[in-house]
Order: sequence, then structure tokens, then C-alpha cells
Amino acid sequence: MTLPRLSLAAALIAAAWVFRAPLEADPVTHILVQLPLLALAGALLPGARGTGGAWNRGGWAMILTAIFAMAFWMLPRSIDAAVSDPAVAASKFLSLPLLVGLPLRLGWPRAHPLLRGFLKAQALAMLGVLAFLYTHAPVRLCNAYLAEDQVRLGTGFLATALALAVLWVAPLLGAQGAAAPARRHRSVS
Amino acid sequence: MTTTTGAMLPEAAYGPQEGAVKLTMLLGGVVFLLMMIFGLIMRAAQGGMIAVDPALFYQIMTAHGAGMVGTAGLTGAAILWYFTGRHVPLLAGVYWAFLGLFLLGVVCILAAIFLGGYAGAWTFLYPLPALSGGLWGPGASVLFLLGYVSIGVGFLLLHLEVMRRLMARYGGIGGALAWPLAFGKGRPEDAPPPAVVAAMASSVFNTLGIVVGAAVLVASIVNLLVPGFAVDALLAKNMIFFFGHVFINASIYMAVIAVYEILPEYLGKPWKTTRIFAIAWTVVLVFVLAVYPHHLLQDVPMPGWALAMGQIVSYFSGIPLIAVTAFSLIVYLRAADMRWDMAAALLVLGVAGWSVGSVPAILDGMIVVNKVMHNTQWVPGHFHIYLLLGEVAMAFGFMAWLVRRPLAADARPGAARLSGLDHGVFMAYVAGGAGFVLMFLVSGALSVPRRWAVHVPDWFLQDRLATLFAAMVIGAALIIVLRYTAVLARRAE
Amino acid sequence: MQALAASVAVVLAGLAVLWQATDGGQALTAERARRLTALRDMPAVPEVVLETMTGTPLPLGGPTKRATLVEFIYTTCPTICQAAGAEMARLADDVRAAGLDESVRLVSISFDPGRDDPDALNAYGEGHGADGALWTVARPDPDDLPALLATFGVVVIPDRWGGFTHNTALHVVDAGGRLRAIVDYDDPAAALTALHGVVQ
Repeated sequence: MTLPRLSLAAALIAAAWVFRAPLEADPVTHILVQLPLLALAGALLPGARGTGGAWNRGGWAMILTAIFAMAFWMLPRSIDAAVSDPAVAASKFLSLPLLVGLPLRLGWPRAHPLLRGFLKAQALAMLGVLAFLYTHAPVRLCNAYLAEDQVRLGTGFLATALALAVLWVAPLLGAQGAAAPARRHRSVS
Repeated sequence: MTTTTGAMLPEAAYGPQEGAVKLTMLLGGVVFLLMMIFGLIMRAAQGGMIAVDPALFYQIMTAHGAGMVGTAGLTGAAILWYFTGRHVPLLAGVYWAFLGLFLLGVVCILAAIFLGGYAGAWTFLYPLPALSGGLWGPGASVLFLLGYVSIGVGFLLLHLEVMRRLMARYGGIGGALAWPLAFGKGRPEDAPPPAVVAAMASSVFNTLGIVVGAAVLVASIVNLLVPGFAVDALLAKNMIFFFGHVFINASIYMAVIAVYEILPEYLGKPWKTTRIFAIAWTVVLVFVLAVYPHHLLQDVPMPGWALAMGQIVSYFSGIPLIAVTAFSLIVYLRAADMRWDMAAALLVLGVAGWSVGSVPAILDGMIVVNKVMHNTQWVPGHFHIYLLLGEVAMAFGFMAWLVRRPLAADARPGAARLSGLDHGVFMAYVAGGAGFVLMFLVSGALSVPRRWAVHVPDWFLQDRLATLFAAMVIGAALIIVLRYTAVLARRAE
Repeated sequence: MQALAASVAVVLAGLAVLWQATDGGQALTAERARRLTALRDMPAVPEVVLETMTGTPLPLGGPTKRATLVEFIYTTCPTICQAAGAEMARLADDVRAAGLDESVRLVSISFDPGRDDPDALNAYGEGHGADGALWTVARPDPDDLPALLATFGVVVIPDRWGGFTHNTALHVVDAGGRLRAIVDYDDPAAALTALHGVVQ
């Protein structure tokens, strides 16, 4: 059970490492493919026992960890440094799985549904803001990337927001499954 | 218990939040009054009856717009929360967070306007907040927009909680919107009650509006702080009007829940979710989202299809509205021995005002008319009909119902009529409101421009009559709010 | 309670990391960061010898007689370097007008030394009015280039049109060979202010 997941996570990290030159040559694949791959690898890691402890009640501590780690990687200078500085590059390959992906997996299922909904709405709005910033910035935000790539990245943020919106809203529309118990519940009450 | 009215929990089950809702309505009523006084001051200033410095006029106009829209949203949300709580349990903390964030936003907005001098209208249309001509600094604009963000976060939490509970109970968004009945083999007996359908539809579109609004608010704030980040003016206008249109519509659609839930008590029969009703609400959901381009008919660079869609949807948007609510209400009223009191009268007035207001709205939504009328007082004319005589009437009706006398004393059908004082207050509200909006419409038809602080003497007649009518409305509203407060205070002892 | 303590700890640690990573909220971009570094840390410029447009050697870094204003160019650049060249000519005039021409020198350094031989440097210099005395155009030894660019924080990337894009700016180096300020290439007033600051 844990072995296939561990190997899949390792494979994802290996892929992100082996293909880092082509992935990092374009900010769109760097930010929207490589970074999510690394976070996904972290989410696949077998969770340590004891993460259900009292300190992770409501998933707050883990989700906040992921939020701050994501905030760090949202800084343009972090992305620049990840390309130019091997130490920062190494920290990218460690921190995205361990400080974003893994904490999200440990925190998300324990989070209150309201918090999850709020974070989803917040993520969509924030991607919209990033789309605006990257398509409208008067200067290059990353020294490692061209201005035109920056605009494409902004468009990519918008596309991601739309895709996530569809992904998150579509399952809510279906009435199947939940409808039958709801009816039964209602007639009882 | 019949399934058509849904599973009504005992009053105690949602009791903990009743106090919060009553407090909200008290705040709402007081702010409505204050904003009406602002309105009266503007009309009196336009009529040359008092002198108001134009800079102050636009501050008052901004406060009036933001205050009225915000309070309409606040009272609508209180109604949504109160009656959703009859069908599903809701988390009380969410409501308090909503109210707290709302008040925080109000403080920011008032400080931005009256301390910072912000007077860029409630629509914060780019680039006005950034280019004030020296009247206010970017800090005031940022504070104003942050106030909106705070209010938006509160609404988001409230809607998420409502949607979450309704989805869990009624089988997803589709189940709560009665899609099995609307588009499938579902039976009316199994459909959720009208309040649930309305609560889900209005929560869905208001959430979408708020997410878009949050993005344009943050973009505007970034632009104010770092002007190098230029905002695409047309995109910003699209996003702002999508947000603004959806938000103000949501306030009315939420308030209508009070009609579905309260009037059956007076009609003596439940309001049923029929197939037409279910279809109409889904259509309303789509239309509210799709119709906003009718606010941009004068923006030449807009793509033609968007404007055409705005006009066409705006033609048809009256139909589901009138079919689902106004027509059903007429049918119910004709068949029932109605026991009138202030609450019932105001709620029926709300539906009437809402329906009537859609007529001049549809006219303004026609491209040929819009080119001539949109910058005249025709526009405040139409939206004051469905706000003053629609949403606000429903909110006042809800308040009157919260402090109603028990119906047991008037149990004989048809016996109760509006008493002397009630009758006078209600008629003053209707007559004052109708006269007030009529003056806007007449001025609009005579091409009097809107949003002008100073009017030429030729326009004074309508301005002065409107001031008089406004005073009538304020008098009636004052009595409604005072009586609500007095009864609450008496019961609290 | 443990959850609250853990969350507060995470928030505090997170804020500390972000504070550190942005130089106290001052620099969100690498460009802003290198300008702060110049002002705060005054990094020493590598001691290298450049080859100028006239073919003479020109030492950069280490103690010199004059403060140096450095910009980075490549002569086949069709776009921003041409504008930067015009700005540099204007700045040279401003330096003379301010009476700083005895204590300041202007150097345009090519980051494309393979193609920019002295002939190309000379053509570029003459095209923009570099006199070889106050303002000269020069190229480094290709082996010295990476260290030079790293110290100045200049990042050169291909622009997909056969040329390059880089973070164009004006770099002020004092007579002690330390990088003291970085300002926008089109802001000669700021450059002049910075020069005044390091020569007095």
C-alpha cells in the first residue's frame, strides 16, 4: 500500500528533477507544472503516524504551513533564485513536497468544510489576482524570464483558475447518491 | 407535517441565531433611515432648497449608494439565514463572523468617505478611485475598497455555510435547486421547499459575484498602491458590474425568501415548489449571471454579441420572475381569505414593487433606449422602484413580522384589516415611495442628467416634489423602525 | 489548545521566513533585492582587466582614481541598449555639467565578448558619442564574465530573436571598487545623485 505510493512520489520528484532544464526554461511549465508535480509528490508520501494528534485539530497548523510555504514560492525572487542558486533549487525540491504537498494532505481532510470552501474561493480569487499582476506588470518580475513569458504565465494563472472552478463546482451539481438519503431523512423529520 | 413546506424544525432549533437576526434587522432599519435622509438631502440640494457643497454632495452620494446596497445585502442575508435555519441547522459562529466583518467594512467605508474624502461612487469604477483630481488620496480609495473586501469575505462565509448545509441535505446544488423536478422525473412532493430553492440559487450566484469582485478589488488596490500596474479599464468595468449587478440582485432574491416563508401563514396554505417554479429559479440563476452587460451598452469597444445578449436576456429576465413569484402570489391572494397586517402588506408591496420596477429596467436594457436614457434620472428611477418599494419593503415586512402580534386573536378569516395607524403608515410609505420614484422617472423622461450635484431651475419642480415624497417615506419608515425597536425592547425586559 | 499553539507557532515561523525572504517586506523581486544589496552590503567588484574600444586595458574593481558608473550592453542589441546608449550620452553631458568628469568615469561593458571585438565596441561607442576618456565601451575576458555578472546581479537570457534580454540598469562603483548603488537606466538624475554620494 505504502510502497507503490512512495515509488510514485519518488518517480514524480525524479521526473521533476530530470526534466528540470526544459521545465524551468519556460515560467509557465516551471510554475504551473513542475511546482504542482513536486507538491503532488509530497501529498503521495505515506503520512507519519500520529499526525492525527491534538496539535493538528481542524488541520489548521498543517494548512497554515502549506499556505506560508506557498507564499514563499509565490515571491518572484524565490523563483529567480531557484533558477540561479543551486541551494535554493535544492530547497525547492525539498520544501514543495514536505512543506506544501504533505501538510495539505494531512490538514485538508481534518479541515472544517467551511474552511475548505473558503480556501477554494480564496484560491480562485488569488489566481485571478495573479493573472492580473502578471499580465499587467510594467516591469519584468523575474530576471530569469522574458516579459512575454510573464504575460503567458498570467494567462496560465487565469486558465488554472477556470479549470479549478469547473473541477470544484461540477461535482456539486450532481444530485445522485446524496439525493436518496436526503429524501429519507426529510420524511423522517 | 407536509413535505411540500419542508421539514420545519421547531423554533428552538434555530433560536440561538434569532437574536442575531433581530439585531441585524435593527441595524439595517437604522441605516436604511439614515441613508434615506442622505437621499432627501441630495434631492433637496438638487432642488435648490438647501446649499450642499458639491464635494460633500458626492461624498453623500457615495455613502448613500454603498450604504443602501450594503444594507440591502445585509437585510437580505439576514432573511436568508433566518429561514434557511428552519430547514437545516446552521453554524451560529458563521453568522457572527459575517456580522462582525460587515461592521468592520462599514467602519472602513465611512472613514474612507467622511475622513478620507472618498467620493468615487459605490461602483469604484476605474480609474475614478485613482484619479480624484486631488479631492482624495489613494489611501482613502484603498480603505474604501478594503471595506468592500471585508464585507465580501463575510458574505462568502455565510453563503458557503448555507450552500454546504443545503447540499448535504437536499443532494447537491442540483437537488437543492429542485432539478429532479424541473428536468427529470422528480415529484413535487419530494422537491425542496421554495425557500431552499431561492436560498441555493441566490447563494450560488452571489458567491460567483463575490469571487469576481474580490479579484477586481485587489487589482484596483494594487493599482492604487503601485500605479504602474495599469488596470484594463473595460475588463475592470465588466468585472465591477458583474459583481455589483449580482450583489444587488442577490439582495432582492434573498429577501424574497421572506415572502415564500411568511405569506403562507397569512394565506393559510403552503407555497409549493412546482415544476414551473423550479425551472424558473434555474433560469433566474443563469439570467442574473448573463444579463450584466446591459450595464455596458454605452461602451463602444464591448463585443456586439455581449451587448445583444445583455438586451435579450434583460427582455426575458422579467418572465421567470413574474411567473414564479408575482403571478403565483396573485393566484394565492385571490384564492385566500387574507388576514392583512403590516408585515403581509409590506411583503406583498415588495413583490409588486419588484415586478413593476422590472418594466423601466427592461426599457433601459434596450440598446436604443439606453443610448438616450442611461445617463438620466430614469436609471435611479427604475432601481429605486425595486429597491425602495421592493427589497426595502420586504425587509421592513420581515421586521414587522418579527414583532407581529400573535394571529390567534384574529383567527376569523378575513376579519383582520390594517388598523388605523398601520393603514396610514403603509399608505404614506406606498404613496411617498411611488411619488418619489415617479419624480425620477419623469425627470429621466425629460432628460435630466443623473448624478449632478447642481440642477438648473427648470428641473427644480420634480426635485422639490421628490424631497416632499422622500420626507413622507422617511416618516413612515421611522414609525416602522421605532415600533420594531420598541417591541424588541419591551420583549427584552 | 495544542492546535492553537501549533498554529500560532506556524504563523510566527512563516512570517519570520517571509520577512527574511523579502528583506523585511522591501524586496519581492530579485531586481529590487540586488539594489538593496548594493546599498546595504556594498559588495566588492572582482578585480578584472577590461579591453576598451581603443584596445587599451582598463582595470575594474580594486582601488581606482575615479568612481565608475557601469552599464551592461551588447553592441548588436537592436532595442533597449540603443535607448540605454542615448541615456548614457545624456548622463555623460550631465556629469560634465556637474563638474564630476575628473572624479567619475562611465563604462559600458559588453556581456557578449565573443562577438563584441574592439571594432564592434568602437563602432557602438562612436555611434553613441563615447569619447573614450570620460565614457568608454569595453569587454571583459570571457572567463571573468560569470563572476562579474554575478556580483552585479545581472541576468542575461536569450530573447528568442537571436539577441538577449537582461535587467538593464546603471551601477555605481566607488573609487574603492565597491558596488554602492543600482538605479534605473532611464533615471540619470538618480544616477547623478548616487555619484555625488560616492565621490565627495
